[in-house]
Amino acid sequence: MASVTLENITKSWGSVTAVNNISLSVRDQEFLVLLGPSGCGKTTTMRMIAGLEEPTKGDVFIGEQRVNDELPKDRDVAMVFQNYGLYPHMSVYENIRYPLKVRRVPKSEHAEQVRRAAEKVRLEQLLDRRPRELSGGQRQRVALARAIVRTPTVFLMDEPLSNLDAKLRVSMRAELKHLQHELRITTVYVTHDQIEAMTLADRVAVMDHGIISQLDTPENIYNDPTNLFVAGFIGSPAMNLIPGTLQQGQFQHPHLSILTGLGDCQQATLGVRPEDLELTQSENGTCSGSVYSFELTGESTLVTVQLGDDLLTVRGPKEFRIGIDEAVGVRLVSEKCYLFDSATKQRLRV
Amino acid sequence: MASSKQRKQFWDTVQFVLILVVAAVILVPIYWIASGAFKQHVDIFQLKLIFTPTLENFRIIFKSPYNLFDKLINSTLVAFCTVLIAIPLATMAAYSFSRFRMFGERVMFVTILATQFVPAVVIVLPFFILFRDLGILDTRLSLVLVNLSLIMPFAIWMIKGFIDGIPLDTEEAALVDGSSRLQVIWNVVLPMTMPGLITAGIFCFILAWNEFLFAVILTTNKAVTMPVGLALFHAEEGVLWHLISAAGILIMAPMFVLALIIQKHFVQGMTVGAVR
Amino acid sequence: MRDRHLKYLFVLPAVLVVLTAAIWPLLQSFYLSFREWKLSRARLSRPLWELEYDGWENISYLFENYLRAFEDEAMWNSVRVTSTFTVASVAVTIGLALALALLLAPGGRFRLTVRTLLILPFSMSPALIGVSWRFMFQPDFGLFKAFFDVLIPPLAHADWLGDPTLAMIALIGSDVWHWTPYLTLVFIGGLANVPKDAQEAAMIDGAPAWMVFRDVTLPSMLPVLAVGILLKTIFSLKMFDQVFMLTNGGPGNATQTLAHFIYFQGFKYYDMGYASAVSYLLVLPMFGLAWLYMKLVFLKR
Repeated sequence: MASVTLENITKSWGSVTAVNNISLSVRDQEFLVLLGPSGCGKTTTMRMIAGLEEPTKGDVFIGEQRVNDELPKDRDVAMVFQNYGLYPHMSVYENIRYPLKVRRVPKSEHAEQVRRAAEKVRLEQLLDRRPRELSGGQRQRVALARAIVRTPTVFLMDEPLSNLDAKLRVSMRAELKHLQHELRITTVYVTHDQIEAMTLADRVAVMDHGIISQLDTPENIYNDPTNLFVAGFIGSPAMNLIPGTLQQGQFQHPHLSILTGLGDCQQATLGVRPEDLELTQSENGTCSGSVYSFELTGESTLVTVQLGDDLLTVRGPKEFRIGIDEAVGVRLVSEKCYLFDSATKQRLRV
Repeated sequence: MASSKQRKQFWDTVQFVLILVVAAVILVPIYWIASGAFKQHVDIFQLKLIFTPTLENFRIIFKSPYNLFDKLINSTLVAFCTVLIAIPLATMAAYSFSRFRMFGERVMFVTILATQFVPAVVIVLPFFILFRDLGILDTRLSLVLVNLSLIMPFAIWMIKGFIDGIPLDTEEAALVDGSSRLQVIWNVVLPMTMPGLITAGIFCFILAWNEFLFAVILTTNKAVTMPVGLALFHAEEGVLWHLISAAGILIMAPMFVLALIIQKHFVQGMTVGAVR
Repeated sequence: MRDRHLKYLFVLPAVLVVLTAAIWPLLQSFYLSFREWKLSRARLSRPLWELEYDGWENISYLFENYLRAFEDEAMWNSVRVTSTFTVASVAVTIGLALALALLLAPGGRFRLTVRTLLILPFSMSPALIGVSWRFMFQPDFGLFKAFFDVLIPPLAHADWLGDPTLAMIALIGSDVWHWTPYLTLVFIGGLANVPKDAQEAAMIDGAPAWMVFRDVTLPSMLPVLAVGILLKTIFSLKMFDQVFMLTNGGPGNATQTLAHFIYFQGFKYYDMGYASAVSYLLVLPMFGLAWLYMKLVFLKR
């Protein structure tokens, strides 16, 4: 149980920089998620914590100790790989047992520890099977069991749920959360799925092109994004982003005008979440347009409204019905709106 | 720990040195022969690293009594004809094996491959007798025929591997569009397997060019190929190393060039089917 | 023409060629092995079936060639030589190729450049390799003499090709030089197919490099290794060109492999019948190995 600290970590290969001078501090027992699209550097960052990649610049600390020069095997971390990384020619039991064998835990203790780990992930019945005989979900649990069998200092997980089907993913999410809470091990988790990040994390580091865009709790990431990237990445359906200008507090767009508390900005972007918008008659709305499309999701109706060249998605009640090309109004409240500087991408605040 | 980094650097250096050693071990024998070709006879015996090069050796080997030029022609013709016959036939058979289920296909395929494992001496004995009786000993024709026993199984195996690697989709789309099987093969399969065919062709050319046993037994004079020609340089006073080296260069240099050309596909060719 | 006819038509030419070029001689050799037959006695025009032979009355005569083979000390010597050569060359080649594959597998321009060199020995005529190595082993002006002068003085003055043991080592050396680079390439390919995740998992689990190799890499490489060993064994048993050029079986018959022995019997002494019989003794283990090979390859399908 310890903290993980990255100080000014950079990783580059020739002219390509994957990770660009990031600093990060994971608290003891914290569940930190590295979130971002492919290529943002999140996996590379985690591999540097594991010791599978060497930082070009900067320092990695596990606990108080600088581990840059340590081999993976000496860092006491455990890792769950995206494709599980199971040993194909060993049985499930031998897979889970391997870390113990390699670290010279006395043989007499193997069976007990493996059994306990297997129980935690409900694999006790499958100990004799080979990986190729197992389903994706089962293999993933073997990888998990292998990671927890020796109670490491740090857990690293590289998109462990991305190869599972949707339903399994949801149930495994809950299991992972429970497991982490039970074991109380510092965890760094990499994913591109923002729902995973939101549901599992104590804090989220949103990464973009090698830098950390925002590091905060899921709540704040959602409710208080500091830049356009985070605002647009988090939330499903995504936040609506409308370009326009800001003059003396008034946001202007050909089809939309709203008074905000902020000042001036030549190129501003207004952000508002679909669930913070209300559908109404076209005369009564803050703005109005024609329906571009609408989708029934079961628990709500998503209506996309055409505002000139831009589209606005509104989450409406599940009974709401309307036809395409019909006119509809949308009501906004300024408190629920976010404003960004389109040039710097930063959030504008009072 | 600081020593961890030092240890890594140490191993990196060791590996670097070893790789250099490997490169040297590969290149030295080649260089030795190559340099011998340019040395005067006397220099050979003095193990000199620096020497005045000469092209005299090459002039000598092309003249009587060595007449290496004839042997060069023989080697080229024999290898070329062997490949010319083998590749088309092998491609046809490979296509069948790859795309169709046939009665007895396993037996056929296994038998064809198994003939590769037969020692050349076993094959050459009856052929020697037969050719002698037919009067075609010491002809290029006889060599081509016998080389086919060596080359065909190889070619079929390699080309089948390449065809296996081509997805069926394009062929099936063409068939649905209305092409006949023959048209599909000509218009679709052949262009796509061309790199594989070239690789196989060059591979087989190299094998035929380097072939020694059949040639040494079945030829004496007119149809002698280059590798056998090496034996000519055993004179009374000993082996004429400078001449044999010159001949050696002519044997190995073209093959090196060819091998480097198909380098990328080399391994795939031989292990295809074995490693998948 | 319909597919079902076409497919047989397609294989027909190739099958015919293989039948005439490979199957027929195999069978004919078998037939010859039961004949006592000397080349010098048969005239050019006499067809094969009118050759002199000892009659069928005495059945033991039929197997005379084989019986003679079993009692032939020189033949057994060749068996010994071939066995020694095969075991040694396979062991060294495979072991070395695996080590070199590990050395050269990682990326980088340096390694890639050296890797291109690996096909050169394979594309060189084995006969030429024999010549080249014979050149290098010359006692007075060979390259190795200079080499050993510097590194291992006692060996410098040895007459490599004149000493039975050293000549065998030289022969094995030339064969290893011929095949190792190629097998290295094959094994590099095999290494690329080892699951990288499992290797990294082992590293994180705590295994040092050699243990990762033993527990993850090697088991995944087993199929490739098996095929490599099998193929190399077959090629070692068949080896002829280098013996001919490097030592010609000598000194004495210290390096006379079975292939070379058969060649001598058939084309120096012209005892075709006997040569055929002995060659069939060589063919039998080959069939065994070929069968093993087929099993291995078809196991995957």
